[in-house]
Amino acid sequence: MSIPRVFNKRNRVLLKELTKTDFKLRYQGSVLGYLWALLRPLMMFAILYVVFAKLLKIGGDIPHYPVYLLCGTTMWSFFTECTSQGIQAMVSRGDLIRKISFPKYIVVISATLTAVINMLINVVVIIVFALLNGVTPSWTWLLVPLSLIELYLLSLGIAFFLGAINVKYRDVTSIWEVLSQALFYTVPVIYPISLVAGTSVMAAKVILLNPIAQAIQDIRHNLITPESITTWNYIGNAFLQVLPILLVVALLVIAALFFRKKSKFFAEEI
Amino acid sequence: MNKRAIGTRIEQTTDSDVAISVSGLYKSFKLPTEKAFGLKQAILNRLRGVKGYSEQQVLKNLNFQIKKGEFVGIVGRNGSGKSTLLKTLAGIYYPEKGEITIDGTLVPFIELGVGFNPELTGRENVYLNGALLGFSNAEMDEMYDDIWEFAELKEFQNQKLKNYSSGMQVRLAFSIAIRAKGDILLLDEVLAVGDAAFQQKCNDYFNSLHGNQTVILVTHSMDNVRKFCDRGILIENGKITLDGDAKVVAKAYENLFKK
Repeated sequence: MSIPRVFNKRNRVLLKELTKTDFKLRYQGSVLGYLWALLRPLMMFAILYVVFAKLLKIGGDIPHYPVYLLCGTTMWSFFTECTSQGIQAMVSRGDLIRKISFPKYIVVISATLTAVINMLINVVVIIVFALLNGVTPSWTWLLVPLSLIELYLLSLGIAFFLGAINVKYRDVTSIWEVLSQALFYTVPVIYPISLVAGTSVMAAKVILLNPIAQAIQDIRHNLITPESITTWNYIGNAFLQVLPILLVVALLVIAALFFRKKSKFFAEEI
Repeated sequence: MNKRAIGTRIEQTTDSDVAISVSGLYKSFKLPTEKAFGLKQAILNRLRGVKGYSEQQVLKNLNFQIKKGEFVGIVGRNGSGKSTLLKTLAGIYYPEKGEITIDGTLVPFIELGVGFNPELTGRENVYLNGALLGFSNAEMDEMYDDIWEFAELKEFQNQKLKNYSSGMQVRLAFSIAIRAKGDILLLDEVLAVGDAAFQQKCNDYFNSLHGNQTVILVTHSMDNVRKFCDRGILIENGKITLDGDAKVVAKAYENLFKK
């Protein structure tokens, strides 16, 4: 299947309509509507901020720590929302899959695009907070979209792979819920990576090989403070520096091929 | 993993006079046995060497060709494989063995109003359903008013679909469906919608298709087969038992129940 056929006009229209529908339905029947896209992550941030920054006093030496924290929680919510929506996409759109023939990847992408829209709104919020907090705009802000794309492609890879299995074995949804909760503690979202580095340099390096950690630290580095530890400035080995990105690309390619192979039988298995 | 044999389904556009060609088509489903749901059971079954599913052969060696412009009725009892055949032609199911060649663009209506969502307004549903049928937004804008006119529901277009009666929903869905322009239409039991007046409109529509369009219609109504079809195909137990003149096939179908 060539690229022009995959993104032909019909499929683009379909993707747009499905995404619009998903986004509208998400906040259907709630009083505050789309505002929840903003409020939910901000409230999550407020809770984490009180618990970790105020009560446990973590991150005191990091400049602009509240924004630093907000940035981490937003990116993490994006990752979990994107993957969980993407994994369930095939099942929740089962009615379409049983009745018309169309490329199934559209369903997964449209489900994850809602998360992308939410994330982009929240990035605007982060920037506003950053400016209020005294962060000076820098040319490195222009690099942030690259990390966002990386995070999206990683989520998409996971969604394709696990979503294809989820069609037959719905257990995947529950397994992923627990797994991502565990994953949360391996990523420096609520704790600064410097805290880990203080006890074990090795552990910090291993953590930074995780593409999620690498992307989040890059965004913090480029958007908030150049003092952030990143995979690039902390790990010396050139191969290890690019390893997270190689992992993302490899996962996406394998997942897409796997999804394409399995998608032939979705209509009868769902 | 069990390797599954896969047949081929080709879509192309040539100037031959054959619209659909099916040869040696087989399709079977793996039906999970009682204790095969979920991951735990799947792993246990694998360890014990239990298959966990039984195979049901639904289509058995179908061969036929449909010419461009033909109006063909596919008839058969419940569970004979009609809908599976239609879904396989539509590309929803993959053929297990054999070959399907589709010449031209194909528009399937397995069900009316695919993707209709009760929480969306009539307008939003029209655009969503249109996109699923392959229309661009510009095309939808153009035919938007006609759709509501035909459905006789103009004043409800900004209401949520959940506030429509089921008859109204079907009328709306049908009005969108008939705008679809394809070389081949696949219709599954969509004729009987609405009251007598709307029925008349539908009949007019089907009559207008006659001769201009390749249509494959799956139906239980022998009246419709006699009225609209040039040719009938009778399927029993996954095999074609009769393929010929619509009136002869309709008669044969009715005789199935007289035994």
